[in-house]
Amino acid sequence: MSGALRDGLLGAALFLLLWEGVVRLFGVPPWILPPPSGILVTTWAARASLLPAMLATGQEALAGYAIGAVLGILLAMLLALAAPLRRLLLPVIIAVNAVPVAAYAPLALLWFGTGPLSKIVMVAFVVGFTVFLNTLDGLLRVDPAGIALLRSFGASRLGVMRRLRLPAALPDIAIGLRVSTVRSMIVAIVTEMLGSQSGLGWTIYEAVLQIDFLRVWAAILLASLLSLAFFGAVGVLERRVVFWR
Amino acid sequence: MTGAAERLDAQLTVAAPPVGRVKLSLNGVARSFGAVRALDRVDLSIAEGEFVTLIGPSGCGKSTLFNILAGLLEPDPGGTLLLDGAPAPSGSLLGRIAFMPQRDLLLPWRTVLDNAILAAEIQGQKKREARELARSMAAEFGLKGFENHYPQQLSGGMRQRVALMRTFLFDREVMLLDEPFGALDALTRALMQRWLLDLWSRYRRTILFITHDIDEAIFLGDRVTVMSARPGRITLDRTIPLPRPRQPSLLTAPEFMALKRELLEAVEEESLKAFAANGP
Repeated sequence: MSGALRDGLLGAALFLLLWEGVVRLFGVPPWILPPPSGILVTTWAARASLLPAMLATGQEALAGYAIGAVLGILLAMLLALAAPLRRLLLPVIIAVNAVPVAAYAPLALLWFGTGPLSKIVMVAFVVGFTVFLNTLDGLLRVDPAGIALLRSFGASRLGVMRRLRLPAALPDIAIGLRVSTVRSMIVAIVTEMLGSQSGLGWTIYEAVLQIDFLRVWAAILLASLLSLAFFGAVGVLERRVVFWR
Repeated sequence: MTGAAERLDAQLTVAAPPVGRVKLSLNGVARSFGAVRALDRVDLSIAEGEFVTLIGPSGCGKSTLFNILAGLLEPDPGGTLLLDGAPAPSGSLLGRIAFMPQRDLLLPWRTVLDNAILAAEIQGQKKREARELARSMAAEFGLKGFENHYPQQLSGGMRQRVALMRTFLFDREVMLLDEPFGALDALTRALMQRWLLDLWSRYRRTILFITHDIDEAIFLGDRVTVMSARPGRITLDRTIPLPRPRQPSLLTAPEFMALKRELLEAVEEESLKAFAANGP
């Protein structure tokens, strides 16, 4: 794993070096593409305003993520246990989920205001769907022979859920949770761009209006780092929890 | 495995199984799936502590029979199924018979011990107590030193022993074993057979054992039953008068050969019928 990490870091360094070289060599104007060094300098210089923005976005994403993950898993468990309810609700859920998230964002702003709540709701909504669909898939794809075995031991449906379905679905749940990390950041930032008073999305929007492209890139850099860290942390957790895969 | 062999030698004085009262009795048990008749009036009676083996061509309805006995499948109305002399409707059998399916179905997130205590745990036994009991039985099942391993770290033979331990710890008087050694290599299989007989002679469970292997059926069973091609029916019920404990040398003894010839003929007839019915 450390080998892969080293190669990844090396790849990133080479990419940045190439970027820097191309920008300098061809004299690309900074409003089209600034050099990485310029982005780093701006990020550091503007840290007093960028760090609170990053914190705000991170909090929204994390809160929405936690709520969405819990609700998604609970709903999937409920619908896995109640087949008639599942047949009734699943088509509706899939139809609602088929609409691109951004389409709902203005409504969320209308209902929950331009504060953090609208972002948390949007993130929870998207994360909830992703986790729900992955979890349900995992819960329903369990080996029927295993279910028969547990039933022959006298297990109830809840017992089968607890001792077989849920642990067997953990790899699928983990995939949903991992994919959701990046989505939670995207949704938080996009919703911020549509209406907010804080956060990286708002910073980007504001900086574009002020034609401050270095600041846009600085915010993108921080958003990427935050997203990457979130993704990595969940990945590490996944490898510990789903140790048998 | 040498430990088990030594114990086997020490058990030379074990008497033939007592032919006790009837533990499990099936009378005209049948089952159809739509137009397909899987089981056709199965009559079978197993005495307490008896080891009965069941052979038959593939797809003869053996699994259907086992699922009915485990309480997982409702038989068609008409037949009777008695456990300890009392009628046992399908649902009531869940949790009363220890069922071991063909595949070990060990849970990869549970250690050897925790897999072994799964049934006991479902039955409401305290995890700690169940673990203690399982730990004390680990050596007997050839799993000493592997208690905290995960199934994916074990060989096929060891996995089957964990599955068997889980079945034994379920602590039911009747055990249904569906080809438990089917996936093992010949050598491991022979060791496991002797080990199972050793275990059975000590715990005296009533066992119904499905197998494809006629040698295995004769070597293990007090009785060998043959099931017909679909629709499944018991077409032959042969008592195996070979003395116990049984040693591997028995496999080449003339009386063993005679039994094998007789059973082979019966099974072959059924296999041909199955082949003719299903086409090449």
